[in-house]
Amino acid sequence: MLGLIKKDLFLIKGNLKATGIILIVFIGLAIFGNINLAFLPVFISFVLFMSTFSYDEYNKWDSYAITLPNGRNNVVKAKYATTLILLVVSTVIVTILSILLGVVKNEFDIKEIISATIGSIVAIILLISITYPIIFKFGNEKGRIAMFIIIFLSSSIFAFLFKSVKISKDMISLLEQYGVFAFIILSIILLFGSYQLSKNIYQKKEF
Amino acid sequence: MKNAIEVKNLVKKYDKFKLGEINLEIPSGYIIGLIGENGAGKTTFMKSILNIIKKDQGSVKIFGEEAKEDDSKRNEIGVVLDNSFFPELLTAKDINSVMKSIYSKWDETLFQKYIKDFDLPYDKTIKTLSKGMRKKLEIATALSHHPKLLILDEPTSGLDPVVRNEVLEIFLGFIKDEEHTVLLSTHITSDLEHIADKIVFIDEGKIVLDKDRDELLEEYGILKCSIEEFSKIEQDDIIRYKKNKYGYEILIHNKNKLMKKYSSFVIDKITLEELMVLMIKGEK
Repeated sequence: MLGLIKKDLFLIKGNLKATGIILIVFIGLAIFGNINLAFLPVFISFVLFMSTFSYDEYNKWDSYAITLPNGRNNVVKAKYATTLILLVVSTVIVTILSILLGVVKNEFDIKEIISATIGSIVAIILLISITYPIIFKFGNEKGRIAMFIIIFLSSSIFAFLFKSVKISKDMISLLEQYGVFAFIILSIILLFGSYQLSKNIYQKKEF
Repeated sequence: MKNAIEVKNLVKKYDKFKLGEINLEIPSGYIIGLIGENGAGKTTFMKSILNIIKKDQGSVKIFGEEAKEDDSKRNEIGVVLDNSFFPELLTAKDINSVMKSIYSKWDETLFQKYIKDFDLPYDKTIKTLSKGMRKKLEIATALSHHPKLLILDEPTSGLDPVVRNEVLEIFLGFIKDEEHTVLLSTHITSDLEHIADKIVFIDEGKIVLDKDRDELLEEYGILKCSIEEFSKIEQDDIIRYKKNKYGYEILIHNKNKLMKKYSSFVIDKITLEELMVLMIKGEK
């Protein structure tokens, strides 16, 4: 599996420059404007990772990867593992940046940084968990479409909920107390389920 | 004699194409050449041996055991597929690093030797390499983990004659170890005349010929005759025939026997290419 993780990291390496530029733009926006850094760069690393699926498809890598030792299982395992590695690395970078930014702008709020970071991780895990099985089943193109539909739907649902449902103070305090844990546990379950599903799908796939 | 690959009753069905039933034994220590038209089923056959596609029926044994999905035996197999398959953004150096973590017996020194012998750049992305260079990199990769079995789909396509000979020499060297086996498909049939021990001819998804190369080239022949003379040839002696401007070309079997029987006719040696063309395009 390590070999396949390396392969994806090598692929991403080629795109690092572009990512760096995007990161700088967002840091600039965060310094002079008023946007929260937490979500976007982590999201960018996810999009970066999605690009490895396109390269795989374009170069017909999968049919070869299957012939390698423990091929089919390792392909799926490596994709999830690399995503998690990437998620951890980018979260660490972004958190450090956010803290630095907070210090520079003198609006240091560790609570906000933590909740924004956890929020973005949960959001991305949700996205991955739904998108990856779709990619493994139907290919990269449809996976991308699915991803945009999920983003669109979930943001509109949340917007709708916030507007129409009156959130009582009790609910907010309840969320503050248990919400984070519930979200983390839910996303771990979701991720694991998604991994199992992808594995099953990939076992049957032909190239 | 041990078999490297044993295929029994293998069937793979598609909407418009059916492979099989295929029965084939590939003994260890042999180079097996798979020939046939484009779309005859060579790639489908190789892919089903490698489990890239799922067979509908039958069994495939590799080194005496049913080839399983995720098998550590894969460490003993080197593969080249018909299309380029390495990610284009990687370099040979990256491939080395990736494969080192994948194959338990990956030999970095050997890989670098092949890269040098093949004049391949170590630090350039695959994107910048020509088709032939990519093929060479794929072949180098297939050989560098000391496999016992090579499964190669069109390994020589896109290579110039000099490199092609170089690669064929490497295969011949590889086969000197009696435990080593090569299964390769090609449409450059002349390659096989030099190196293959056995020829397997696939047409429309079925094996139509499975013979030792020497036997095949010895037994089959082309009888040439004029249009008037054609009627003198017995129907039973004609496997296939083709009419051209000057007369007939007839594919025959039992060359030596027929040479006596039709002593007034010219019976030529056959090449694999002629055999293939006559088998596919010739009339019965």
